[in-house]
Formats: sequence, structure tokens, C-alpha cells
Amino acid sequence: MLFEISGLTKRFDGLTAVSDVSFSIAQGDIVGIFGPNGSGKTTLLSLIAGMLTPSTGRIVWKGKEIQGHKPHDIAAAGVVKTFQNPQLFSELTVFEHLMIAGHLMLKRRLGWRRIATLFNTDTGQAGGDLEARAREVLRLCRLEGSRDQTAGVLSYGEEKMLGVAMALMCEPQLLLLDEPASGLGQSEIDSLEIVLRDLRAHGMTLCIIDHKVGFLGKLADRAISLHHGAKIAEGTPAEVLSNEHVIAAYLGR
Amino acid sequence: MLAALALALLPLLIKSDFALTILVFSFLLGMLAVSFNLIFGYTGQLSMFHAAAFGISAYATHLSMSLLGTSFWIGLVLAALLVLFLSVIVGTICFRFRLKEFYFAVVTLAFSEMARLIILNWNSVTNGTLGIILQEKPRIWLPGQGIVKLDGTLMWYYVSLIGLALTLLVCWRLVNSWMGRSFAAIRLNDELGDTLGINVFRYKLAAFSVGNMIAAIAGGLYSFFLGSIEPGFLSIDQSLAIVAMVLLGGRGAVAAPFIGALVLTTLPHVIHLGAELRTIVYGSILIFTILVMPQGIYGSIAALTRRPPHAI
Repeated sequence: MLFEISGLTKRFDGLTAVSDVSFSIAQGDIVGIFGPNGSGKTTLLSLIAGMLTPSTGRIVWKGKEIQGHKPHDIAAAGVVKTFQNPQLFSELTVFEHLMIAGHLMLKRRLGWRRIATLFNTDTGQAGGDLEARAREVLRLCRLEGSRDQTAGVLSYGEEKMLGVAMALMCEPQLLLLDEPASGLGQSEIDSLEIVLRDLRAHGMTLCIIDHKVGFLGKLADRAISLHHGAKIAEGTPAEVLSNEHVIAAYLGR
Repeated sequence: MLAALALALLPLLIKSDFALTILVFSFLLGMLAVSFNLIFGYTGQLSMFHAAAFGISAYATHLSMSLLGTSFWIGLVLAALLVLFLSVIVGTICFRFRLKEFYFAVVTLAFSEMARLIILNWNSVTNGTLGIILQEKPRIWLPGQGIVKLDGTLMWYYVSLIGLALTLLVCWRLVNSWMGRSFAAIRLNDELGDTLGINVFRYKLAAFSVGNMIAAIAGGLYSFFLGSIEPGFLSIDQSLAIVAMVLLGGRGAVAAPFIGALVLTTLPHVIHLGAELRTIVYGSILIFTILVMPQGIYGSIAALTRRPPHAI
């Protein structure tokens, strides 16, 4: 199994935000995690990406335990997360964002040899690869038109897409998306869906959380539902959506 | 490039020893300001350790010569290595504990005060408040003349100009590389940088160490040009003067802080007023500039010369 978490729990003082959650993700899957606001979805993703350390439980990526590792180490291992509210480098252009996000590409291609490129303007093949990849990601995310705009003037939908684009520059094998559709209009959600289907066609494994069911229901191969930090259902999206516990959680009973 | 050529040829025009002396001080303090901007302007860390790196190196260079019997240049290298070692210790403590902004400034200030107090009180080695008079002159090799003493303002002019040029080159290479992109990521949003695989700790430490080592080189040269060292080199005043040079010159370009260093070094000599009055005038100019030109002199000129976008 590509990715597996077992018994994952996160307590903040008195509150248990994530409670004994276990599931696994196979290569090439799109896994959707549903839950109403406050059900612990974002905390779960932050635990996986290393921004929080779990109280107990294990996170296993390609056979190695990664819980409690630093976010940059987890990103370097191939697990990359986007933010629910787009996090950007405000004064830089879209293309500059992608070049920054290409850090891991250069690191993987050049290793310590990248120190030598500080004394010699030529980053060679790796530099060329980086720019080619940035152009490809721009096209994939439909951001070509905004390439030289600063992040400050982007629309909310473009900001969110730039978040996805930066994550893609990290060459992730597992991409964690935190409510990618929230705050978007219908046409933006439609193009997001096309982008995500495109990624799946390229063999990427995705784990997407959302509180809206409609968008994920169509896209996900498998669904997991959280409520008060605990997993209450797992299966195909149709199975999960018809589960009585899930219906009760959404209706607030 | 043109500016560099102009500065290289300037002594042909300016024969005044006084003016050249001011320029030498400007170049050396320019090294200090430009290297500080690598940490402050590009990586976003308000270090108060810069004057300490400058002062510690001045003492260490001298002590290496007097106690170990090394040449000036070997002493300077050893001093820079000592500063590198201290930077790694101070930086590791600050960055591991994720001290940012105000907290980082205060803790680095505490470390530099610690260094100043050690120097102030270690009389047997540093001569305390009195400081040390440096009578020795560094030796350099000149084509055609062999090894000569670095003496006279004109020779110092070229040595300090080369020092500044190398500083600009190193900083320019760094900020325009992949490492500079990581510095920018840390300055603008370090949490995002972290999730994109950038080792924030490592690159903060890199900027801090490289900046401090350049300050160390400037410190060794400065003290031997001046001919003395005193604990005031490490003072808060000196730290704030460096911040003022960068704010005045501008943060947005590698060479911009040099403009600040030039203005603040020259000004006290151009405005002939009583010491108290001069401080007031000098301070007022600084406050005025920072309020009216938050981008610094460089940023304001760049904004004026930038052509307005064409209306379509």
C-alpha cells in the first residue's frame, strides 16, 4: 500500500480533533474525505503534511513512518499539501511562485551540485527542466494568461489554482488538497474538476477533503467520512452518502 | 558596470586625501550594509548581530596577529571563520526556536551585547574601554613592486573598492539564484515555503552566516584602515547605523544599501555644525527620508525613472 495511517489521534488540551482514524490509499486512487465543518478534516491533513505532530498513531508512506517529520522533509518524500485559504508570496508573479516551488526539482536533479551553480550562472539541464515544467504546470492549471501577474491581483479562483500549481511543481506522488473547491463559482469548480481528472490521468494519487458532497462525489474512487474527528463511514462515494451516520452528521442529529 | 568603472577611475579626478578617506569608509561600511541586506532585506530577518560580527572580527584579526603571529590576511580569514562558527551557534539557537521579527532582533541583540561586554571586561586581552591602537599595516603583493605595506589612502581606496565589488558580486549571485528564491520564500511566507520542501532553517542559517562573514571581512579591514579598535564597534548604535543605511539606501536592490552607507558616511563631514546640532540635523534627515521614501533612495529613483505602462 502506498500510504497508510493507523490509529491517528490528535488532542489539543481538552479537545480531540482527530480520534483514532485509520485508512489507506492505493497508488492512483482519488480518495475523498467528507465531513461537516469542524469534523477534523484540516487537522488530519496537517498531521499528514507534518505541520502538526500526532498525539498517537502512525503515518506510513511507502513503508516508512513519517509522523512528526518536518513539512519540508515530507514534501521532499513526495507528499505535498495545498492550503484551504490560498497561501502565496504576495509581491511575486505567478511564474516566480512556480520557480520557488521548483526548489525540490533542482534538489532532486542536482543534489549538492546545486551549490556549484551559485558560482556559475548555468544551471544546465536542470534549470531548463525547471522552466519547462513551470510552463507545463501553467498550461495544466490554465494559468498561462496570468503568468506575469503578481499574486495580489489574481481572482480567488486563480489564487487557489496557483496553490495547486505550486504543489505540482514539487512533483508530488500524493497530493493533499484542502477544500480546493470552497469559495469557487460553478464554472471554476468545473475547470478544477477537469484539472484534477487530468492529474489522475497522469497517474497521480490524490486525497481531497471537502465539506461539500457534490463535487467530490463525482470525482472520488473512494470516500471516507469524518465526524467529531472520528471516521464514521468508508466506501464508494455512493455508499458513504447513503450511510445513515453520515446523513445524521450532516443534518446535525 | 559603468558605476564600477567610474569609481575605479575616480582617484584620477579626486586628489583630496580627505575625500578619498571618506570614500574608503563608505566602501567598507557599504560592505557591511550590503551584507546586512542579505539577511534583512532579502531573507526578512532583522538581525542585531551584524555590528557584533564586524567588531568581533576586528578584535580577532588583531589578536590572531599579535598572539599567533599570523599575517593580517591569515588573521582575517581566521576571524571570518570564528564569526562563521559564532553565526552557526547563534543562528541555530534563534532559528531552531523559530524566533521571528521582534524576538529574533532582541535575542540577537542580547548575543551581541554579550560579546561587547566580554570585550569590554577582558582587559588583559582587549584593553577594555580604551581599545587598541593598531600600528601594523597589512602587506599586499603588487605587480612590479612585490610585497608592500598597505599604506596611504590611494591603496586602501582600491583594496576597499575590491572588497565592496566582491561583496556585491557574491550577494548578487546569491539573490539571483535558486537560493535567493528560497530566501524570498522565507521572507514572504515561510510556512508556505516549508510545505513546498524548502528547508527554512537551513536557508535562514545560510543567509545569516554568509552575511555575517562578509561583515567580518569588512570589520578586519575597517579597523586596520582606521588604525584602532574599540568596543564601540559592537555597540547598539553601530547596529542601528547599519539598519539606517539600508533603510535610507533601499532594500530592493543588491547595491542600494551602499547608497545609504555613502550618504550617512559623507553627510557628517559635509555639514559642518556643532556635534549636538549635527546629530539633530542628521537624525531629522533620516526620519524625513524614511517617512517620505519608504523604499529608500534607490527605490524612489527607480520609481521615478520607470516608464508608466502604456495605455491601450
